[in-house]
Amino acid sequence: MMLDKITQALKARSELAGWSVRHIITREAQVYLVGHQVEAQRAVDDERYRIEVFRQTTAPDGKPGMGVGEISMLPGGNVQAAVDKASLVAGLVANPVHSLPAPAPLPDVPLLDEDLKKDSLGALKNVTDGMLAAASKHGEVRLTSAEGFAEVNTIRHVNSRGVDAEQEMTNVNLEFVLQSKQGDREVETFREFGRRRASDLNVQVEVDHNARLTLDLMEASPPSNWQGPVVLRDNALVTFVAGDHLTAGVLQTLGSASAKYAKVSNWEIGQSVFRGEVTGDPLTVWANRCIPFGIASNRFDEEGQPAKRVELIRDNMLVNFSASQRYADYLGLSPTGAFGGVELPPGKWDAASLMSKPYVEIALFSWFNPDNITGDFATEIRLGYLVENGVRKPFKGGQLIGNYLDALADVRWSSETGFLGHYLGPTTARFGNLKIAGD
Amino acid sequence: MTDLKLPPAMAELRPSLPAIVAQGQERAPYFSVLLSNRHSLEIVVNNREERVTERPPYAGTVLSAFDGLTMHERAVGGFSQADVQKAAKELVRGLQSGKYIPQDVPSRSGDFATQVRIDPLDLTVQEKLDRCRELHRRAKGLDARIVNVQILYRESNEHSVFADRGTDTAQRVQRVILYLFVFVAGEDGQVRYNWKSKGASAGWEALEFSDEEVRKVIASAVALLGAERIEPGEYQVVSAPGVSGVICHESFGHGVETDMFLKQRARAAHFVDRTVASPLVNIYDDPSRAGAYGSYFFDDEGLMAGPTQIVENGAFRRGITDFYSATALGIPRSANGRRQDYSRKAYARMSNTFFGPGSSSLEDMLAQVDHGIYLDKWSSGMEDPQGWGIQVTCHYGHEIKGGKITERVFAPIGISGYVPDVLQSISAVGSELALEGGGCGKGHKELIAVASGGPHLLMKARLG
Repeated sequence: MMLDKITQALKARSELAGWSVRHIITREAQVYLVGHQVEAQRAVDDERYRIEVFRQTTAPDGKPGMGVGEISMLPGGNVQAAVDKASLVAGLVANPVHSLPAPAPLPDVPLLDEDLKKDSLGALKNVTDGMLAAASKHGEVRLTSAEGFAEVNTIRHVNSRGVDAEQEMTNVNLEFVLQSKQGDREVETFREFGRRRASDLNVQVEVDHNARLTLDLMEASPPSNWQGPVVLRDNALVTFVAGDHLTAGVLQTLGSASAKYAKVSNWEIGQSVFRGEVTGDPLTVWANRCIPFGIASNRFDEEGQPAKRVELIRDNMLVNFSASQRYADYLGLSPTGAFGGVELPPGKWDAASLMSKPYVEIALFSWFNPDNITGDFATEIRLGYLVENGVRKPFKGGQLIGNYLDALADVRWSSETGFLGHYLGPTTARFGNLKIAGD
Repeated sequence: MTDLKLPPAMAELRPSLPAIVAQGQERAPYFSVLLSNRHSLEIVVNNREERVTERPPYAGTVLSAFDGLTMHERAVGGFSQADVQKAAKELVRGLQSGKYIPQDVPSRSGDFATQVRIDPLDLTVQEKLDRCRELHRRAKGLDARIVNVQILYRESNEHSVFADRGTDTAQRVQRVILYLFVFVAGEDGQVRYNWKSKGASAGWEALEFSDEEVRKVIASAVALLGAERIEPGEYQVVSAPGVSGVICHESFGHGVETDMFLKQRARAAHFVDRTVASPLVNIYDDPSRAGAYGSYFFDDEGLMAGPTQIVENGAFRRGITDFYSATALGIPRSANGRRQDYSRKAYARMSNTFFGPGSSSLEDMLAQVDHGIYLDKWSSGMEDPQGWGIQVTCHYGHEIKGGKITERVFAPIGISGYVPDVLQSISAVGSELALEGGGCGKGHKELIAVASGGPHLLMKARLG
């Protein structure tokens, strides 16, 4: 077995202070639709080994240092050559010494869709069939394209301290486009999301919701300037609070020990994460890799750290940094492992009360991507509503302007909660004072 | 003879490809094979640590069988002849030959390699690390407010071999990019940062930073400590070449990818040969542009690279294509069928996309602005091909007052509006063209290397 060959080769190297190997096997089915026509159908198989070696080195000032060399190899590759190269690279740098994770019990986090594991293409086709059926019920909206991906991942992680762990997980991702046309006017909405289980996609609900948004977009006009309460719900709220897979997010960046060590995070344990007065509900956040079937959940992370539910912020005060073993050692903290999903406690307001006075609701952003260090944002609005006297007037365009942390310092959270992929928490939030630059 | 430095496993499999193609074509009207190997290295040097990482390689074989309606593909990790032959047989099993007759294209063959003077493959990792350390050393002590300086170096060495009935081509594309990040902290502890990057399809010769460039990055980071938020509204703006590039990329780059035409997601499909911009505007996509970060010799569907003029004197002329959308739409192909890696599908994607140069100097453009904004550096953009909305975020911009750029800084600045309105408002186009390399996604995924750019542009835009 190749993994045995690699570990034997690593054990035989006296110059190494430690090592880890990840054996990753991926099987994926992909389906691409143009309307109801299958444009492309793909099957992908991938297998690789990720090797990390650690060497004791000496810093220029004579202090003991440590270097890391990382290399990937494919089955049948030259093991000795790969280890030689990784070891050589590890000898080139002298960072402060740190340790590797030790063996520890792993939590039983559910991550697997058994049906998808048995037949990923079949499971994916069920999803796309369901999506097409759901879309066909909407007479004024049509589905113009879609893509689906179903993946089964098996990862075994071993290291020189005796960690030997395995996890199997599934992912199913779906994106679809809905369009509506009236005369010369055409509008569309785009939805992209993923879950561990096909049943958690709630395809019917997603299609129905986006069909409504598409029809509202048809009625939307440019917004006027606005400064005041802004409500975010469901997917828009998750994007705002927890980020998307393109960007790590402000919480994940400023709450990470690596950013603290690099001096780009000015957060301090025991101090408020906000730069001013908190006028809204107090903020409590967990970095949670144990959310059942969460897309950021796992049993162990890339370093082999067991999954944990880590209290990051309690009542506005930073309690922990999210820390790998390396940065935990550097900063004298307990390792938590990778960040995982974002969890917030239920708020104290029912959602209806948060939507009782005039406000603006943002339903779709072009791309909400705040500066993860400063928190500042200026993002185009794809669809929003001005809600006054019980009337929801849709608008499109303009920008939502503000600062992420200032916004969280002035927010009220709903008592209704939900699970949305990498987020578990309130499904409605009312931000007290945000600005919209209209057209 | 071009020395491609092909990985041995690829070189070994290459002679078998004609037989695999022939076997595939017994059942599929069109059959092709792509061998793709992308190997990359990343080096990070900052005040607190150093890292050298061989990025996970993407090495695999894509077998494509097209029946006239659906592109059936099998992607196999690695280049094992037995695995590839087995996968090819499985892929075409059950396929109906159908009535589709592929277009005849001229036979193509040849081996091509990026021209490099200081080849990253000839430098040791130690030598590359030392070059990064040297740049870090030059920057780190230049201002007391600096809390960290980070050098990030990435090289990507991409080999591909493509074969179909008339094609036997191979290429080596060498891309390098070097970033200088500077983080500074104010008296209140707030952290601000700035960066500059140099990227090219080239070797280390393209990555030299002058002392003036280093000092400018630091000065701009320090200036951001006093940055203001801009009062939302419409402004006369002059965009720096990088900002011009991202406007071009998001509007008539993504907006003219013809797979989006097929999906009826691109408004541009209704505007062929219609005016969409000021007559001063010309937009191109050119994967054959020597040295640019997004360049290649043939695309991932085997078509030889060449320039495409997308907008000519303000009129939209044509889009950029992949094989499937060009075939389905019955339009000529351009060499823009690109994959993130072998595990992903090919889409119509940009390469080097840019506004063509005009005749104005920067000084002339600034002189026309009494009160406006110089948009200096972009940080992100997002496309909206159907709605033609625009979202470009600038890391910072400077006030222009009385025709001069002042020291007053605004950050961040969002540009929004309707694409044709923004492009129609362009009233002067600079004479000096510059491109910036970076990554590009299709929506939220499918990351590839591209460059975008242009000259300075004078226009009106809504800022917030």
